[in-house]
Amino acid sequence: MFVAFLKFLMRWFQRLVVLAALIALGVWLFYIGREHQIFLDNKTLGDFKALEQINVRVNDSEIAELMQRERDVRKVVGPEFEIKAEVFNEDGEIINRIAKKIKINFSKDIMINLPAFAAGEENFIVPAPR
Amino acid sequence: MIRKLFDIIANNAVPAVFIIISAFAIPLSGFSASYLVQELLTRIGRNSFLILSLLIPIMAGMGLNFGMVLGAMAGQIGLLLICDWGIVGIPGMVLACLIGTPIAIVLGIFCGHILNRAKGREMVTSYILGFFINGVYQMVVLYLMGWIIPITNPNLLLSRGYGVRNAVSLSGIRAVLDNLIPTIITNPEGAKQFLNINGSGSFLLLQLPFFDGAIRLPLATFIIIALFCVFIIWFRKTKLGQDMRAIGQSQSVADSAGIPVNRTRIIAIVISTVLACYGQIIYLQNMGTLNTYNSHDQAGMFSIAALLIGGASVSKATITNVFVGVVLFHLMFIVAPMAGKNLIGEAQIGEYFRVFVSYGIIAIALVLHAWKRNREREAARRSLRGNKGGNA
Repeated sequence: MFVAFLKFLMRWFQRLVVLAALIALGVWLFYIGREHQIFLDNKTLGDFKALEQINVRVNDSEIAELMQRERDVRKVVGPEFEIKAEVFNEDGEIINRIAKKIKINFSKDIMINLPAFAAGEENFIVPAPR
Repeated sequence: MIRKLFDIIANNAVPAVFIIISAFAIPLSGFSASYLVQELLTRIGRNSFLILSLLIPIMAGMGLNFGMVLGAMAGQIGLLLICDWGIVGIPGMVLACLIGTPIAIVLGIFCGHILNRAKGREMVTSYILGFFINGVYQMVVLYLMGWIIPITNPNLLLSRGYGVRNAVSLSGIRAVLDNLIPTIITNPEGAKQFLNINGSGSFLLLQLPFFDGAIRLPLATFIIIALFCVFIIWFRKTKLGQDMRAIGQSQSVADSAGIPVNRTRIIAIVISTVLACYGQIIYLQNMGTLNTYNSHDQAGMFSIAALLIGGASVSKATITNVFVGVVLFHLMFIVAPMAGKNLIGEAQIGEYFRVFVSYGIIAIALVLHAWKRNREREAARRSLRGNKGGNA
């Protein structure tokens, strides 16, 4: 009787382990396979004035050349991406180069405020437009 | 001797007719060999998995599983959800399979129980069951998605705010499996040109000296299909596979031998439904577009048609039948419109001809099978009576 009960418990335990493994696999696939829209926004945010020109590359995508008050979008897959930016002055000379790895985890889309990003501000990620 | 010859002809009549028609239609179409090979390879990769999913219920004596559309619907629900969540690439495809699997299992168990109550009439029952579950699927997709089941992607929803659009773009997973191992087959000259244009990138270049032109081979899809074939061969040798074959031979004898007939039949349908779910996902990743309300209907009919054209019958089907069927059936799809256009000046005539011949031949295949089965029963009855030639 006890042995039969143990076998019953063991069988259900095995099933639960398999189910948990499948759910974990699903969550992992969701995490690594999600496509995110990254909005690149060159507009004034609080004290951070819009930049004259900034060229931005997200992962290996095409470079986005953004003048004042311009916005563009790039798509990335996975929880992490690399952003490289070059800030230009009015004469067209590069005055700053920034490269950063950003984690977005489970959130769908994000917007990066480029003036805040270029200034080294921590909170440069703002809610994406709907 | 004559009877043996007649049996051979009767057993291979359907593929033979298709080979003869193709032999006339291919030159008439004017397509090059490389174009035909390319199209055939694409269609073999797209359809074979779905057709292979039909083999296990045939092994268990349940006939052609028209209920495979249930699995196809489960796969489509998985695809709709990953589209909404924005999961792309291979993870998206695997996640769609993962979501579709429990739905396909539940639908398979339901289908299996119904078919156990309709023994001997499984095909027509599963066909009608497909319509019934299609109604449930349409209710879920047309009314519950966006209302009870959260769908946030406005590109998926109808303008009224709930219900999924008729055409859904699968751009996120389009051809991800087909292009997982990019492979080009060409001759040495073509390979040089290809390398000059593209550089030595991350693709596999197979060189065949006698081959004219260049074709893309969906190698990863073919590997998965090959693994599935190996699985079927292995499965036949397992205890469960042997039980299914015994049930396919005679349910009463299998029952007497202690085989749980009903349970085994349910398992056969569940396996077929789950595999049809994966097959539909592979099919749709190749197409790149999901026709929300119709894709699954076509899946069942075309797969069964291809299997019958490959020389299978309601009670016997092999892996060879699958591949012969998919080649012959889809060869007609490729060449018939152009052959019709070149012959009569109207592509639509060729298409009508293809539909007429294809489905007419399927009807003939089913009639031939019924006639042959009746003849075998009559012969068995005669042999039991000890009367080999004369009337009873």
